[in-house]
Amino acid sequence: MDFSFTEEQDMLRILARDFLAKECPKAKVREMAKDERGYDPQMWHSMAELGWMGLIFPEEYGGMGASFMDLVILIEEMGRNILPSPFFSTIALCALPLLEYGSSEQKIKFLPRIAKGEAIWTFALAESSGRYKASEVKLRAVLEGTNYVLQGYKLFVTDAHVADYILVVGRTGESERPEDGITLFMVDARGPNVEMEAIPTIGGDRQFKVSFDRVAVPKDNILGKIGNGWDIVDFILQRAAVLKCAEMSGACQAVLDMTSSYAKERIQFDRPIGSFQAIQHKLADMVIDVEAVQYLLYQAAWGISIGSPLPWQISAAKAKANEAYQRICIEAIAAHGAIGYTMDHDIGLYYRRVRAAEFAAGDTDLHREVIATGLGL
Amino acid sequence: MDFRLGEKELALKEEIRKFAEAELPPDLMRNTLIDGEYRDFEFEISMSRKLAQRGWLVMSWPEKYGGRGTSLWEQTIYEMEIAYWGIPGAWMGISGTQWVGPCLMMFGIEEQRKKYLPLIASGEKDGIWCTCYSEPNAGSDFANIQTRAVKDGDDYIINGQKVWTSAAHRARWCWLAARTAPNVAKKHQGISIFIVDMKSPGVTVNPILNYYGRHHFNEVFFDNVRVPASNLVGEENKGWYYLMQSLAFERRSIAPTTYGSLKRILEELAKYAGQTEYEGQPLSQNPVIRTKLADLAIDLEVLKMFAFQLAWRISQGQIPVYESSRNKIMGDEVMRRGAITGAEILGIYSQVDPDSEWAKLNGTIQGAYLGFPGQAIAAGTAEIEKSIIAQFRLGLPKSY
Repeated sequence: MDFSFTEEQDMLRILARDFLAKECPKAKVREMAKDERGYDPQMWHSMAELGWMGLIFPEEYGGMGASFMDLVILIEEMGRNILPSPFFSTIALCALPLLEYGSSEQKIKFLPRIAKGEAIWTFALAESSGRYKASEVKLRAVLEGTNYVLQGYKLFVTDAHVADYILVVGRTGESERPEDGITLFMVDARGPNVEMEAIPTIGGDRQFKVSFDRVAVPKDNILGKIGNGWDIVDFILQRAAVLKCAEMSGACQAVLDMTSSYAKERIQFDRPIGSFQAIQHKLADMVIDVEAVQYLLYQAAWGISIGSPLPWQISAAKAKANEAYQRICIEAIAAHGAIGYTMDHDIGLYYRRVRAAEFAAGDTDLHREVIATGLGL
Repeated sequence: MDFRLGEKELALKEEIRKFAEAELPPDLMRNTLIDGEYRDFEFEISMSRKLAQRGWLVMSWPEKYGGRGTSLWEQTIYEMEIAYWGIPGAWMGISGTQWVGPCLMMFGIEEQRKKYLPLIASGEKDGIWCTCYSEPNAGSDFANIQTRAVKDGDDYIINGQKVWTSAAHRARWCWLAARTAPNVAKKHQGISIFIVDMKSPGVTVNPILNYYGRHHFNEVFFDNVRVPASNLVGEENKGWYYLMQSLAFERRSIAPTTYGSLKRILEELAKYAGQTEYEGQPLSQNPVIRTKLADLAIDLEVLKMFAFQLAWRISQGQIPVYESSRNKIMGDEVMRRGAITGAEILGIYSQVDPDSEWAKLNGTIQGAYLGFPGQAIAAGTAEIEKSIIAQFRLGLPKSY
């Protein structure tokens, strides 16, 4: 066993941390929460120049050929800084399945543009129940001539308003197993009959209801095989669970660091509050949570990096991150006192993002169910 | 990063499984958890001998002291599997293999190593140790020990009282922390480590029963006990440093052993839930039970990663500071969760005496339930461990 990162990985982390510290201070995060687009195209362009979008694409698609673990490191740093950007929607939710399931024509057509930062993508799965179950996919796709015609709507689609393409999960057939008859479509987000309505969230990120009213999608824009799309959804949810976990891991570390520093500076009863055991023990619990998330995350990411994803370990990591991120934020606010409850303080920025992070790629119940089944229950 | 176990570790795991299936009666597990050791000492020592014959008992020690010089990875797997199967007799009185031996290798003189290490490695009764640290007024405030060792010619004369001494009633030797310099600026100065023959005149061992009436620990009195000066370990008055190292060895093995026992409990509970019907369906289909067992499994996975991460740090030649405390807290948490979840799954049967024929799962869950509050205190309370993390991981001021 080896718990160390390579020198290149350490370099990548430092580079990302420095870039984000400079380009994405908390003032920027606050500004973007009010911005109509919700991200800074200038920064997006710089990120592409650094090779971040194509980090794990092969060179033939304009990428750097890095590993999944490298992507985890990068996203941990993004999470630490709460980078507002459609990076997760584009890369974690769409580019990875394109890379795995796309035809060579599709890959050549779409991936280099993503790598250059010229295309934004997002993924549309959830419907009215908000659950990631095949039985909940009602959006219909019916073959008419050479096109499939989509009818229905999707909820909680992130960054849809700035997306060029939406990867839409639709139903092309009915059968006993709800997983059968699911197909993934790459839909032009700016095409006719695609309508968006913002769903305001407490996290300040951009999420939408996207309606498809007889939207025609050419057969060429099907990802993978017709009717077998749920395998791709599983693939996406597994990778996205690990990458969201990376984002949460970075956020947890940032909140711990912030709270530990505050405990050393804040004087009450003539001494730093960090000298009181009530505060120390809260912080010690936070350390344990932070490291629990880190090591479960690295184990899950390693499995994917060597081409042997470990579904059980992935679910353990995401379930733990869901629980830990929330607990760390709440304890951190308590340790800060009233200042932690204000708009001006950064802790709230992290706390407000807890709910979105939990539901991204599966809430705790969904992942517990994977684990329970793995235990033979 | 790489989280694969090596071929040697995988093979060892398999060998221990075969060993356990061949050598153990099927209902053994409950005894370890409830007592911290086995009531049947003769059976325990017969297992120690067998572990020694297999070359497992002190596998990570160098060959010249009876070991095989295996890696810490193999040692970690060994500890996990011993605990998983509930194999008794593996630690030679808890401290023999786990910290007395390793400390003697680091701080002892060759004469001491040659005399004591092969005894531990033999798996015989003469290799069993107890550790005398705590005193009535030195619990968490360990440096406050008052037991005195006074130089008298070629001997030291020891006077004082120790308490919560595990296995003292079975031990041939004692690893003793005593005060050699009473007037020092700081309490942790002036402490030394001695090896004491438990058969020496003036040593008295009295049992202390735990709240379930089991005998695991003791109080030990030293009344003018004469110990040859050659039994001093390392330098006089440097004992605190050796103690910190011994505690690091002790705390390192807590995560692997807790992981092993609780993994077994989790598996037994999952099996039980599958076989027990309630309202026309197996308990395993009940969403509350599924949630609780899944949460236990997640924390157990964390404990496993913590155990391996600590082993990795040591294998890199680094000296872990707060990680052992982190692992101790996580281990306690997993034990508590396992015991309580187990009790909830057994329902009304969780109150049955573990020795009774009415007991489910051989009384394992009652053992864990009765045992975990005590285990959580041994080797450092959660409060002390959390203060260590705050101080050494986060750089907060010392708070005690």
